[in-house]
Amino acid sequence: MGLLRYYLRRFLIIVKSEVLVLPSRMVVCVFFLGLLLLPAVTQDPYLLRILILTNIFAILAASWDLLSGFTGQMNFGHALFFGVGAYTAAILNLHAHLPPWGSIPLGALAAVLAGLIIGIPCLRLKGTYLALTTLAFPIILLGIVFTIPGITGGELGVSGLARLSGSRLSDYYITVVLMLGACTLMWKITDSHTGIIFHAIREDELAVRASGINTTRYKLLAFCLSGFFAGFSGGLYAHFMRIAGPSTLEVSMSFTVVIWAVFGGIVTIYGPVGAVFILFPLLEFLRFWPEYRTLMFAVVILLILLYMPDGLFPWLRDKVETECPRCKIRNRATRKTCRVCAVPLD
Amino acid sequence: MGRAFLEIEDLSKDFGGLRAVNSARLTVNRHEMVGLIGPNGAGKTTLLRLITGILKPDEGFIRFKGKEIVGLKTWDIVNLGIAGTFQNMRPFRRLPIIANVMVSCLCPRAMKRGEWVKKIEAKAMDALEFAGISDMALEKAATLSQGDLKRLEVARAIATEPELLLLDEPFGGLSPAETELMAKSIQRLHQGGRFGRLHSEGPAMIIVEHKLQQLMKIVDRIIVLDFGTIIADGSPQEIVNLPEVIQAYLGQGGV
Ligand SMILES: Nc1ncnc2c1ncn2[C@@H]1O[C@H](COP(=O)(O)OP(=O)(O)OP(=O)(O)O)[C@@H](O)[C@H]1O
Ligand SMILES: [Mg+2]
Repeated sequence: MGLLRYYLRRFLIIVKSEVLVLPSRMVVCVFFLGLLLLPAVTQDPYLLRILILTNIFAILAASWDLLSGFTGQMNFGHALFFGVGAYTAAILNLHAHLPPWGSIPLGALAAVLAGLIIGIPCLRLKGTYLALTTLAFPIILLGIVFTIPGITGGELGVSGLARLSGSRLSDYYITVVLMLGACTLMWKITDSHTGIIFHAIREDELAVRASGINTTRYKLLAFCLSGFFAGFSGGLYAHFMRIAGPSTLEVSMSFTVVIWAVFGGIVTIYGPVGAVFILFPLLEFLRFWPEYRTLMFAVVILLILLYMPDGLFPWLRDKVETECPRCKIRNRATRKTCRVCAVPLD
Repeated sequence: MGRAFLEIEDLSKDFGGLRAVNSARLTVNRHEMVGLIGPNGAGKTTLLRLITGILKPDEGFIRFKGKEIVGLKTWDIVNLGIAGTFQNMRPFRRLPIIANVMVSCLCPRAMKRGEWVKKIEAKAMDALEFAGISDMALEKAATLSQGDLKRLEVARAIATEPELLLLDEPFGGLSPAETELMAKSIQRLHQGGRFGRLHSEGPAMIIVEHKLQQLMKIVDRIIVLDFGTIIADGSPQEIVNLPEVIQAYLGQGGV
């Protein structure tokens, strides 16, 4: 009993000293808790369906940021990883009767392989050439999909897959936990030593080489990691929708991912995730005005990017937090002095 | 025959008809500090870039500790123990200075040699301390002055703990006082020893510099390059009195 009290006290102290000091951390905690507790308030199947898809796409958007945001390898064919993950999981489930917990990780591994295969020719390319080359890969795969309809189902896709789990509610919890886990993991990667090298590769690849770092290895690592998470989300998508179709490989899919990430703010991980949570439900909501849907969607995105070129979330963060000029620790914007070094803020 | 530390033979490099380095032949011994001078466009930077593998030569050999290094990747050459700085500094602008140096500390060579160093950050800090910019460790590299960027270049290079250090105009853009400081640091580095967690092998050096006065004071030997060709190689006293050196420099408007 006493021990329990002790740990509770420790926990409260950590909450107070680590979480409550920064608005952004509070928002992240509220976001985590809100997602986990939401079903206690409502279990509306339509809402849960939207949120499940949002979770799945959040992983996808974050994985794009991990590759293109951090290492600067602009990938305009991210749908490739998503499609490879989805199709692999679907085919393994349908033909080899693997359950979702087996087919989805294997789909992710197939996407890692895809990452290696497109990563190698992309190593020497930069800028527009890289963008165009990556854009082509999912289109090529789409062509392959259509030539072997016996396995891939052609236009119709692979359908009749096993459900992710028994009920909508458990589907929801599975995707929430996986999304929070995957995004935290990606954020941890970008916050590690490897993340510093990714940053540096985006800034100046030649200088990274001259620092003794094998940039080829790190760029391929970025392609593989990004492919893994994107393929994972593709597998989840296939099993939730119970179909893997050509839409997972379409050009519009690749572009949507880029729009999400740029809207939320690249090189952050949390930006693209937050963006999906705003834009995906918004797009669903705009279904009520089908004639104006795309137009309104485009207007929202243009307005945001016009006023917040770095994306929505970094902009919001700068509004509520300021960086200490001396120790570079972030502080609540309302503070007069830095919480660590007590230097005056203005 | 005693194997030289660095041996360059008949090294040539063309840039579309322009011969930037022409059959260069030189050696550097293990504990030497060599100055490399020559008028603008003589090919000094190109020669250094050939050694670090950033450029591939059209002809010739480069042997480092008896090993042929032409054709190796830049990172492999760095991990063998050759580090260089960029004449037109190339920092990672949006990263803090400490992260700039941490990238070098993360190269396999530095990691292997500093196994007992638990914290890469601390080692990077010692490299900054040595270069004299540790007080700005958390600033973004984009905010640095020219002189501080030069120091950052040096800090990044020494963080890989090289045995051969190639400095491309380390005094460029520095004030006389800063130049003095930098010259002192370079000499200290050349003597070797331990600077906190950073270990200096006492690297051999090739220093490219236009400020001859300061260069003369610290180097043992000077190599003169003109139109890609080595026209003189000798002690600083010999070099300044050679007619062809005076000729090359006067052609460009004097020393
Ligand atoms: N990447 C390149 N492509 C084409 N020409 C080049 C390239 N790099 C250098 N050159 C040319 O090669 C010649 C030698 O250049 P280099 O930079 O080596 O001279 P330098 O001795 O370092 O001159 P400085 O003292 O001005 O730094 C110059 O004429 C230059 O224009
Ligand atoms: Mg030069």
